Amino acid sequence: MFVFRNNTVERFFPKDYTFSGYDDISFVPADVDGYVWFYQLPVKYDQDVLCSEIRGYAQKLAFVLAQVDAAKPFIVLTMDEGAYSVPFTSGTELMAAVSEYNNALVEAAGSHSNVKLLDIREFTRQYSEEEVFDWKFWFISQMGMNPKVTKPFMAWWLRKLDEIALKRKKCLVLDLDNTLWGGVLGEDGIEGIKLGGDYPGKAFHYWQEALLELSKTGVILTVCSKNNEADVLEAWEKNPFMVLKKDNFATWRINWTDKATNIKELAEELNIGLDSFVFVDDNPTERELIKQMLPMVEVPEFPVQPYELPVFFKDLVEKYFRVYSVTSEDKKKTEQYKANAQRAQAQRSFVDFDSFLESLDIRITIEAANEFNIPRIAQMTQKTNQFNLTTKRYTDADVRQFVEQGWKIWCISVADRFGDNGITGCIMVNPNDNLNENKGWGIDTMLLSCRILGKGIEVAFIKKILSLLKESGVETVRAEYLPTAKNAQVKDFYEKCGFTCEEEYADGRKSYSLDLNGADLSIKDYYHITVK
Amino acid sequence: MEEKVLEILKDLFELETVDETCSQETCEKWDSMAHLNLVVELESEFGISFEPEEIGEMQSYKDVIRILKSKIG
Repeated sequence: MFVFRNNTVERFFPKDYTFSGYDDISFVPADVDGYVWFYQLPVKYDQDVLCSEIRGYAQKLAFVLAQVDAAKPFIVLTMDEGAYSVPFTSGTELMAAVSEYNNALVEAAGSHSNVKLLDIREFTRQYSEEEVFDWKFWFISQMGMNPKVTKPFMAWWLRKLDEIALKRKKCLVLDLDNTLWGGVLGEDGIEGIKLGGDYPGKAFHYWQEALLELSKTGVILTVCSKNNEADVLEAWEKNPFMVLKKDNFATWRINWTDKATNIKELAEELNIGLDSFVFVDDNPTERELIKQMLPMVEVPEFPVQPYELPVFFKDLVEKYFRVYSVTSEDKKKTEQYKANAQRAQAQRSFVDFDSFLESLDIRITIEAANEFNIPRIAQMTQKTNQFNLTTKRYTDADVRQFVEQGWKIWCISVADRFGDNGITGCIMVNPNDNLNENKGWGIDTMLLSCRILGKGIEVAFIKKILSLLKESGVETVRAEYLPTAKNAQVKDFYEKCGFTCEEEYADGRKSYSLDLNGADLSIKDYYHITVK
Repeated sequence: MEEKVLEILKDLFELETVDETCSQETCEKWDSMAHLNLVVELESEFGISFEPEEIGEMQSYKDVIRILKSKIG
């Protein structure tokens, strides 16, 4: 599965999942089993920016959904507005923004049959705020959820996946005595069984009503009971509190034969596989019999006390009867809904990726190395592993020395509508580089933080630098790609920027050159670049 | 304590063998994500909470032992 996310969430999911960049919708992989959309409440104080960012996420989802194969599952998680709490001066704006976002998710699930909605609050409400959000881990690694709840989250996630993936069960086989009513019909008689009235009859009545509702969603109800059939038919007709009667059951086996044989017959009669059956019986011996004889039939434990029936019913539905497939009635509603939603969406979403980037109001600042930014530049060479073309590690002193030797070193800061990321990349160009035995200008270091990827900033940055070099008289620039275990994503970066690959070595190393006179150094104007 | 830490390192980084020389430099799988997982595992196993500074200093098995000892003796 591929996860679109805005925070660090890797450890919460199975190891074979892959992840987008942070808040990065620029790449939608096609060769995955399915997708997950997990955007958490952003952490910032400015309410206007925060709400605007949250609303923007809904547009991003629409943009991504339009590109995804409609046959692949797309699981969206709601946003928990109470993910962390901080005193806000204006409370309701945030609530409205998160509501809008979550409603957009509901809409998406309603109008796309492959979109499944999961409410994260179902998980988080079990915990106190400190248990589910840890400021320390937020600040050191941008985790929007406390890593300590990883195990329970993973368990919840896998359970939810199971529910979505599992065929919804089709048929419920119900016992009668002490299952659909209190007492034994054969001993207590039609008026003596506990159904309706006071406890426990009241509980059994409510339980029958629940099952009736369930049957309306397409679940088949059947009976398998050790009783005289005539007695049961009479009870169904005559007991005034009976909710589930003869017509509510597709068929039944009411006799003295063993239940395994009976259930097998039910399956044959209904022409449904046994693996679509759920057997509900208060008697542990009967349950054990079916578990052993018919292992493909689901056999939940039955509650000891009738007042536990509502919780039992809820678990039953959660586990076996969740509705994820779309029926023809649903489809009709969906068509109408889709038309409306699309119209609404067209007004709200951006048409293509360029318009999206433009809407971000990206502001790039490029600054030459100076006493203030050198420590940060050096630090980035030490820490950046992925978007790093040569992975050369330098100290402050190294960088200062390079500046003295005439190197051209710049760092890049990026801000957009939603905030300022600060200095997030650098480039170091050496006038006396000896790449491929050619002395001349060469890019010794080119790196960027993964925070700002996915918006084409890396290409805009390098093209601007090349323009600056060209203006100062440089004609040819060389560059190198030195492969490491972590930087495979930039293997073809220089090609993408128009460089010619002069040589590719057996160890994966590549050397490049670019003639600045003929190069295309144009940059889209929505990047708003300032050079200091 | 030493045994437990070695065991945790072995599990998290999926190593066949592990010894005192295990560090971010010698161990390929010890990247920033794995480091985070290590911190969480250690905090859970030893019932303590590391400060961000300590988390930054923990670059090898020896560092982990040193820091753990300074916190729990």
